[in-house]
Amino acid sequence: MKLVGIAGSVADKSYNRMLLKYIASHFGDEADIELLDINDVPLFNQSDDQTEGDAVQYLKRKIEHADGIIIATPEHNHTITASLKSVIEWLSFKIHPMAGKPVMIVGASYYDQGSSRAQLNLRQILESPGVDAVVMPGNEFLLGDVKTAFDDQQNLKDERTVSFLKTTLEKFLKFVTVINDMNKPEDPGWEAEDLESHGKVETTVEGVDMHAADWVEKAAEKTHAAEGDDYVKLDRGLLTVNQLNYFLNSMPMELTYADANNQFIYYNHFLEAKDMLAARTPAQAGNPMADCHPKPAIPHVKQVIHMLRTGKTDMFRLPVPGMGADKYVMHYYKAMHDADGDYKGINELVLDIMPMVNYYLEHTGQMLVKDPDAETDAVSGASSRSKAAEKPAKPEVDEVSGASADAEPTAEPEKPAKPDVDEVSGASSNS
Amino acid sequence: MHKFVAIVGTNSDKSTNRKLLQFMQKHFAKQAEIELVEIKDLPLFNKPADKQIPATAQAIADQIDQADGVIISTPEYDHSAPAVLMNALEWLSYYIHPFADKPVMIIGASYGALGTSRAQEHLRQILDSPELRARIMPSSEFLLGHSLQAFDDDGNMIDQTKLAKLAGLFRDFETFVDLTKQLNHANEANRQEIRDLDWANL
Repeated sequence: MKLVGIAGSVADKSYNRMLLKYIASHFGDEADIELLDINDVPLFNQSDDQTEGDAVQYLKRKIEHADGIIIATPEHNHTITASLKSVIEWLSFKIHPMAGKPVMIVGASYYDQGSSRAQLNLRQILESPGVDAVVMPGNEFLLGDVKTAFDDQQNLKDERTVSFLKTTLEKFLKFVTVINDMNKPEDPGWEAEDLESHGKVETTVEGVDMHAADWVEKAAEKTHAAEGDDYVKLDRGLLTVNQLNYFLNSMPMELTYADANNQFIYYNHFLEAKDMLAARTPAQAGNPMADCHPKPAIPHVKQVIHMLRTGKTDMFRLPVPGMGADKYVMHYYKAMHDADGDYKGINELVLDIMPMVNYYLEHTGQMLVKDPDAETDAVSGASSRSKAAEKPAKPEVDEVSGASADAEPTAEPEKPAKPDVDEVSGASSNS
Repeated sequence: MHKFVAIVGTNSDKSTNRKLLQFMQKHFAKQAEIELVEIKDLPLFNKPADKQIPATAQAIADQIDQADGVIISTPEYDHSAPAVLMNALEWLSYYIHPFADKPVMIIGASYGALGTSRAQEHLRQILDSPELRARIMPSSEFLLGHSLQAFDDDGNMIDQTKLAKLAGLFRDFETFVDLTKQLNHANEANRQEIRDLDWANL
């Protein structure tokens, strides 16, 4: 679970920051808690909107990607600090990243009241409609007499305090799960996947016809794309566009990039369509995915994309027969994500794994034999990964229904080596 | 004639709270001298270890010291007083005590119907804290809802019932200021306590 911690103080020395640091390190096994810095956030002013500024955007991004928030508040003048209030005002003015977020309030103070009034006040503020956070009820953690509460190593000295804090935090972790479950948007379902790519993502090139045969050239012109000897900085390295092409085109597999808008925007073009395991033509690049699949396959394609987009699975595997007895062609659909975990599309890898299997057998002096316990039933998609690993060779599978590459994903045909398959009906892989 | 400091509780360029105070300044000119004070130039309070307060805060403190009372008009952000007003009150209680035993009248204007009811309650709680110890006029509330429609082009309050209530409360505040002068038996003790109060131990 990922939490962010905000200490409601911009003073150089803050016991509330110390308390949060202690929680983050002491309970590191139970939750990943990142402390957020509010020092650079300007005082809220509705006439000088800084919502798009770095300091506010940083908080927005971190909060949006966190499962919950812990706020440690001091008490000044019977209330929370202006610096914390100012942060909340920015986060409730034009943007509302705290809406629906589970929040736990803690507080430390020099005297015995331990920020009791500030905590109540913070609760009221967080529940106002512009903020709309979900504050955990009860479980008030007030740390009074804070100057004597920590030892030299900045650990809380009193064991009962630590134990109460642990109980509170554990309750909060459950609270976070419950609240986030409650807030989960209704899944529109796989039917809502738009293979015509009517939507757009931030990388979508607008104003160029996706169906055009020269989409790549037109979109490159429009975006002033790097090419040839232009350098591209990568994680981790630096290549020219030419070098990147040499590299991708020498991969012993066919790679396809479909973005989060279900637009087919790239494949490594080192073979003619007729020689490919999953045929693609240069004119197809840029097409909405609907253009690249036969109509009957569309529902299955949607189901696979939806599973990857929603994280139900990170990789979907599909054996695609029909390329002859000496080949065992696999299609791997791997979800791609950015650093924040947002879905960025699908990396489709297509390769014939038989050369690898044969190489292995040859070099380890083994051979494929019939598994007397072989199950001939289809194995459901969900278990495909482990099953595939456990049962690499199942030579005697009797029949495979006319699977196209886009066969029923929930009943993935798990029938690896099938040397004597006679014929597979028409199914083109992905064309 | 009483002399009052009127704090505009916002840093917004456009503010009906400022408008309300400007109206009072003009409307009650024969009764009292009202001086408007802006808080938007104060830096963000960061509890500086050297206890130095900015000159802009000291200037406001001096004005309050010389006034018979303070009027604060507050907007409401997120069910509470705005950060910029809280910020001003933090500076105005950081090793200086202009609010100690100072009579305060709280009012507020809002675009919506509620007229800052929660922010005023919050502000009362803040002004009542041991760091500030203001004398807030009790059992009085002036909530100006739908404030965008409350004034005419000359800045005069349109609703006469509202105006009568404000005028009554303002008279009461003047009486309260005089009364407060008699509530003086604990003044010295209060001042001593507030002088002894150290933010480093708070």
